[in-house]
Amino acid sequence: MKLSRFGQSVLIGACVVVTGLSPAHSQDREESQGMVLLRGLPTLDTNHSIAIVELDPESDRFGDILSEVEQPEMEHPLHHLYYSPNGRLYATGLDPVCSLAEIGLSRDAGGAPVVSGFTCLDTQGQIVGEDIMWATSNGQEYMFVTFMGGTGGDDGGSVGVFDPQTNESVKVIEARKSQVGEGEPYIMYPHGISAFEDRMVVTSTVHPDLATGVGNVLTIIDLNTLEPIENITVENEKPLDFPSSPVEVLFARPSIHPDIEPAILANTMFGFETWKVPYDAGSKTFGKPEVIYSGVANETAVPLEFYGNEDELFISHALPGVVKRYELAALPELVSSGPDIVADPGAHHMIFFTSASGRKLIAVQNNLLNLGNGAEDDPTDVDFIADLNAHTISVHDLATGERIATVDFKERYNKGVDNIEGLFGSGFVHHH
Amino acid sequence: MFRVLLSLTAAALVFVAAWVVWDRARGPTATPIADFSAPFVFGRFSVPADNPLTQEAFALGRHLFYDPILSGNNTVSCASCHLQALAFTDGRAKSPALSGGVLEFSSMSLANLLWGQERFFWDGRATSLEEQALIPIQHPDEMDQDIDALMVELRASIKYRRMFRRAYGDVTAENTAKALATFMRMLISSDSKYDRYLRGKARLTAQEEHGRKLFMAHPDTKVSLRGGNCIDCHSQFLTSGFRDALDGFSNNGLDPDGTLPDGLMAVTGNSAHKGFFKVPTLRNIAVTAPYMHDGRFKTLEEVMDHYNDGIVVSDTLSPLILEADNAPDNGPDTIGLRMTPEEMAAIIAFLHTLTDEVFLTNPQLSNPFDGDT
Ligand code: HEC
Ligand code: HEC
Repeated sequence: MKLSRFGQSVLIGACVVVTGLSPAHSQDREESQGMVLLRGLPTLDTNHSIAIVELDPESDRFGDILSEVEQPEMEHPLHHLYYSPNGRLYATGLDPVCSLAEIGLSRDAGGAPVVSGFTCLDTQGQIVGEDIMWATSNGQEYMFVTFMGGTGGDDGGSVGVFDPQTNESVKVIEARKSQVGEGEPYIMYPHGISAFEDRMVVTSTVHPDLATGVGNVLTIIDLNTLEPIENITVENEKPLDFPSSPVEVLFARPSIHPDIEPAILANTMFGFETWKVPYDAGSKTFGKPEVIYSGVANETAVPLEFYGNEDELFISHALPGVVKRYELAALPELVSSGPDIVADPGAHHMIFFTSASGRKLIAVQNNLLNLGNGAEDDPTDVDFIADLNAHTISVHDLATGERIATVDFKERYNKGVDNIEGLFGSGFVHHH
Repeated sequence: MFRVLLSLTAAALVFVAAWVVWDRARGPTATPIADFSAPFVFGRFSVPADNPLTQEAFALGRHLFYDPILSGNNTVSCASCHLQALAFTDGRAKSPALSGGVLEFSSMSLANLLWGQERFFWDGRATSLEEQALIPIQHPDEMDQDIDALMVELRASIKYRRMFRRAYGDVTAENTAKALATFMRMLISSDSKYDRYLRGKARLTAQEEHGRKLFMAHPDTKVSLRGGNCIDCHSQFLTSGFRDALDGFSNNGLDPDGTLPDGLMAVTGNSAHKGFFKVPTLRNIAVTAPYMHDGRFKTLEEVMDHYNDGIVVSDTLSPLILEADNAPDNGPDTIGLRMTPEEMAAIIAFLHTLTDEVFLTNPQLSNPFDGDT
């Protein structure tokens, strides 16, 4: 009996030494680690998860998953990650059972980050969560979430307003086109969200089933009353013969850079354009929308995200898979600040960080939506979208755009990669 | 009957002997700290690979921290100048010196030392907690203890021999330092009202929230943003100084060039560091008066008066302090934030949300010689 206790304590001792050392080691440089949402691919028999990946090409562990936790059991995975200003991590979700979740984070005794659980939040029936933004209404901060599916129906869509402390739903901002009356502002399939002073803008993109309907307007919400007050149509070219489907928006504003004249920038997913809508803060009126970038003319399609750092604005275009870069100070005009960063088809979200040797890098997640692949007999395949899924994260030199390394998640982990954030702070400044 | 007794005694003796041999021969046990968890937002930390956090090291470190055996005259323990109820400060402007009089510096609060600057003491002269731990023990005016003599004393104690063996092996100066360092690493304060607010479990009052916003904002008169600018040096979550290089040290305008103490310059030899001191954590700041490296301010009101209009210019004064002015049109008479009394009161109200009663009363961090813990 004594002997077995002795053996036991030796064993415990040995385990502790091993676990005690390795996390401390992997913690050396956290700034180059990405938090990613991985999607299980039905034909490859993998599950949805959230993972921390090393993205510094100079690290021996480049591309390694440092830790991974499975998402709650559901068909459709979590969609986008966002840190609140207080460092809490949230995810929007595509599955109606979890359209919005808070993800618990802590650290273990070696200092390594630990995903300690998911809490699905009560959204009052709002489904298909997309983007999150923290903004103030009458001096009070709220968490605003766009729900492309809203509370359901063919012309659904809502903006959920939540108490940022308790996560309780405070209000559902909804205005169905079929109900508001001719010429009245409506909200439909909202996706992108941004705000300046007391004006918020959301886009009307496309019905979550990608078949029922497609939108072509921006909706302005008055943050004093939390009511929609205006629709602005952003539609011109129709290369796919679809409505334009505005997706991400950025309210360019002086707090981003003091030289900026306020204006909304909006990317249209099926019009392939970037629009500018000037804003006069004095009279609180919007000027005439105008196309400032044409995908048809520039041979790019499906423009998606806006990301900014201290001096540049980056816009991802899923096809051919490039990130274009512009002078931040010149906004709302798009003045090129360098050659395109050539990523992979589906170029979408990105993070900025430095390598161990101090090289400035950008990592681009290349996947529009991981809907599987028809060639593999995947029932979730949508032909057009399958072309936009490289399932990779490409890492580039920020100054030159040169690709340094790539992690192919499908090849290496049999999963798709839906979203990326830096481990904390993420190196982006202006995402919304 | 006697035979039975004899054989029982013999059996007992064999058992005891075997147990003693086994207990001695046994290596350290190294049990991980049960349920260790630290807030994610405090950020990355690393523990030296040769001194992982374990229950045994913590227990030993805690005993050493509270034991006056560590001092030459066996009357002073670390806890003499670092009292838990005062967030491990001593409530004095400057700690008393063994030879009479006072030490050069005010005692420092010990909380969240796993994070923030990787240099310790006001002037940053120790580069690890292991290195730091042996300094006060040997300092003639703090504990005035010869290290070798201390090892002899510790080895004479069965209890310490056992605790060292379980934690590390032998009773050595190095293991003494490691154990103290482990105890200090475990002084984690993460349950203040502010922490609970960050986790979404508490609401700040309107005044506290106003103070929080001011604490986090750099004033910008162009966009009429008012700010206290504290976050430029005292970080958002830890409220201590930054970890990178020497970013966590600065000159916050206490003294003019003529009387500016050396501070960090004493360590780096770089004159650009003259008057630089470690940016301290503000956690539990409401219970750690008096303030600054020499304890010159008795209250948080005095501290705020300093930042508001009492900044003294010197060659190495932080430009972040010079730039942060909420009333640049009021002329050059005073230097400071120039906020309203309401704004200063709001910042002070926010500073009070940093008090962590759980930490200040946590029995696991208390004196193990009190009662039977
Ligand atoms: C006589 C009072 C006194 C005693 C006893 C004492 N300290 Fe201190 N402690 C101080 C003072 C004063 C400072 C600041 C000194 C300086 O900067 O030079 C300090 C600073 C520290 C720091 C630096 C904290 C930081 O944030 O950089 C640590 C850690 C510390 N002490 C731990 C200990 C330990 C462990 C012991 C026992 C071995 C101990 N102290 C004994 C007075 C004391
Ligand atoms: C330029 C950097 C800087 C800024 C900005 C700054 N501090 Fe400090 N703070 C320091 C330094 C350095 C010390 C230690 C100075 C010393 O003792 O020599 C300090 C000390 C303090 C102390 C005393 C801590 C103690 O344990 O004695 C308090 C309280 C404090 N600061 C609060 C604030 C508040 C509140 C603000 C914003 C209104 C602020 N500080 C802004 C650098 C800064």
